[in-house]
Amino acid sequence: MVSTSDREPDVFTAISHPARRRMLDLLIEADRSVNVIAGHFEMSRPAVSQHLRILLDSGLVTEQRHGRERRYHFVPERLGPVRDWISQYERFWDDHLQRLQKLLSKKSEE
Amino acid sequence: MTKTIRREIPIPQPREQVWRAITDSATLAEWMFPNDMEPRVGHQFTFRVPANPKVGFDGMIVHCEVLECEPPSRLAFSWSAGGLVDTRVSFQLEPDGEGTRVLFEHSGFDISESWSEQAFRGAEYGWAKMLGQLPAVVAARNASVRTKQE
Repeated sequence: MVSTSDREPDVFTAISHPARRRMLDLLIEADRSVNVIAGHFEMSRPAVSQHLRILLDSGLVTEQRHGRERRYHFVPERLGPVRDWISQYERFWDDHLQRLQKLLSKKSEE
Repeated sequence: MTKTIRREIPIPQPREQVWRAITDSATLAEWMFPNDMEPRVGHQFTFRVPANPKVGFDGMIVHCEVLECEPPSRLAFSWSAGGLVDTRVSFQLEPDGEGTRVLFEHSGFDISESWSEQAFRGAEYGWAKMLGQLPAVVAARNASVRTKQE
């Protein structure tokens, strides 16, 4: 099992496993209990709990008490680092494509 | 979870000129990095991103292979560097009056189980440093390019 980072919960690690991404997909629709979540998977309950623990540690998911059961809640804002990672490449290409435009306009003046 | 960066850029120059700028090694180096690009499918080449000791960036090699090459309308190559494995960069050049409309895509940003945390951190570090070296000149260029387009 991949461990999370020492200093901060790592969102990239949390979403690196297909089962955890499916769990998030389930939680987008509604808050759900561990039993309901486990019902969508063939793996054992402890395995499901272990995946949920990683999601909790990353902050992508919180747990809330509803009477006797706990329900898991998805916090999409925590996906920010993933968006930021992509946006670095967006900036990279924006800069370089502008250089391309500039180069072509310079060459056609020559 | 695959993401794609898409851009549509108007360029006043005709497609042939744009094609040259994206496939001729020397011209390509002027707006990207030193490279050994040749415009033929299957050609493997690299971009050599220079080191910048001032910001602690060791340089970087981007490994590419030409996947599509249809002058003067379509170029695609793979892009592997740091944490990115086999992502895909493509340029579609469409005539637009006297000029060219460039449809740019960088696809295959895949957050999957093949990702290791370390690979990601390496990529994050490298790009952050690399972007750090892009000087304020780019902003000035921006302004002049925009003025030209308007």
